[in-house]
Amino acid sequence: MAFAGYPPPEHLLGDLGMEAELTTETTARVRTRVTPQVLSADGGVRAGVLATLVDIVGGAIAARVLRPDWMATADLSIELVGPPVGPWVEARGSVLRRGRTTLVIEALVVAVDEDGDDVAVDGRAPDPVAWASMTFAVLPATNADSPVQLAADLPMRWAFRGGDLELPIMDALPVTVLDAPAGRVSVPVRPYLHNSFGAVQGGVIALIAEAAGAEALGAAQGRHGADMVVTDLQIAYLALGKVGPIVTSARVLATGPDGRAGAVVELRDGGADDRLTTVVNVTAAPADVTTRAVP
Amino acid sequence: MTAGPDDATTVGPDGEVAGGPGDDAADRRRHVSDYFRLERWELPAPEGDGPASMAGRAPVDAHQRGPGGGLRTGGLLTSLDSLGGFTSGLAVLPQWIVTTSLMATVSELSHVGPLGLRADVLRRGRNSVVTSLDVVDEGAGGRHVAAATLTCAVLDPDAMTLEFERPFALAMPESQVDPVRPEAFFCIESGEGPVTRLRLEDQLRNPWGILHGGAVAMLADEAACRATVAAVPGAGHGVAATDVVLHYLRPVKVGPVEARCSVLGTRAGRTSVRVAIHDVGADDRLVTLGSVTVLAV
Repeated sequence: MAFAGYPPPEHLLGDLGMEAELTTETTARVRTRVTPQVLSADGGVRAGVLATLVDIVGGAIAARVLRPDWMATADLSIELVGPPVGPWVEARGSVLRRGRTTLVIEALVVAVDEDGDDVAVDGRAPDPVAWASMTFAVLPATNADSPVQLAADLPMRWAFRGGDLELPIMDALPVTVLDAPAGRVSVPVRPYLHNSFGAVQGGVIALIAEAAGAEALGAAQGRHGADMVVTDLQIAYLALGKVGPIVTSARVLATGPDGRAGAVVELRDGGADDRLTTVVNVTAAPADVTTRAVP
Repeated sequence: MTAGPDDATTVGPDGEVAGGPGDDAADRRRHVSDYFRLERWELPAPEGDGPASMAGRAPVDAHQRGPGGGLRTGGLLTSLDSLGGFTSGLAVLPQWIVTTSLMATVSELSHVGPLGLRADVLRRGRNSVVTSLDVVDEGAGGRHVAAATLTCAVLDPDAMTLEFERPFALAMPESQVDPVRPEAFFCIESGEGPVTRLRLEDQLRNPWGILHGGAVAMLADEAACRATVAAVPGAGHGVAATDVVLHYLRPVKVGPVEARCSVLGTRAGRTSVRVAIHDVGADDRLVTLGSVTVLAV
């Protein structure tokens, strides 16, 4: 399904097969099937994919709550609590505060089965696999950039349908690694990755930051980026990335004794005077650390 | 909300008011901004009219150290909120700001001190300001300590005029003659388990009459650590907060203030705690929501 032509027939959201439902006036849930193409090295769903899921559930709620106004994601944080393994993962969002200029939303991500029921663990409801929060900036309907027709068309339930992802998601974007120790990766801006403003979608930004952070943090430990598992993303969206390519740089902060480490990743629009579009705090650890049973 | 030279009132870097009517109360307020002894100074704009930047320096006093060996994360967040908030305010003068969210990742819990802080405005919009913050341990060769992003909403200062001598600078406050632990200073009641309470004493209010954002952060830190100790077998009492996300949803005006925690899960030695902070005396409304990652140390 598409609203006013968004997303186009060939789009990442369609290839992820996301299914959404507005459950009340201020809550929604969005789920996606767990496939090998969206997994990280520890067998869990990538943080960037979960961030995409969360961004969509937040956007769905915001579109309903704010209509006829529209919104843009201002910040998004996601923290992986356990390995998200599916068979589906579902983000459940709710409104925390609706202000004049911002809307704040919380989301929990849980593993669900084909029927949308929680996947029980030892007969009890499972813990969430991730916690997320986001702030949306309210864009008044009088703003020429506000695609208000999307909100007017919003049904209670819909699904984005496309082809299945045939490649690992980082290859589907595609992410090109330019300089791993510096966290320099590049991604072209194309309609497949667009949001409703014709810029790179917020979840895709999270995926790019995940790739850049993993490359830099892996290189700092003599590992491949693909061996690192990103567990936390704290994203501040500053400007739209419309021209491309989106090019990143990363600053490694410190590495703990177990290999867990943090980096600050900056994303710039290479075709728009290298304008800074996003700053992301990324935390990652080697896969053998994130899969370790503790405490 | 603050005053200029034509009023018998001046404003400090956290908005504390002194020199005017009610000066006794103002002196008590000063404690919040001075408790962690943060020295601050404005940095010259690179091209004359660029976005604001500031630097700061804070010692790590013995009574403020936590189980990680360095400044408690709640204290670090208080200084980040103070420096980042003031930097954001300078960027929107003659308007002012209020913090709406803070996202921080702490990479080092053990500090030698002093800590060096830096704040740079990333984006100055009509309704909001986004500022990046970095902390290094100057006493440990500049080792990185924390990175954060602070978002503030722009406020109309109403009838008040905001005026500061530029470039702004504030010397490091004197050390305390009779130091008190952060839990005592921030009026956090003793206890254990998933609920932690703070008494809203006047010394914790800012000139707007609301609870200082740093006090909220300190409460979140303490509450998440207590909840982890209570819920996670083997966690022991040697725990410390690391990564923190806080959304300041509404001002805290009445009190007492209660932090209610839910342990979401533990993975690889790190426990994720959802923290919901309520103003009990204001119809128990939700005022702050966030998450704190707690690490066994």
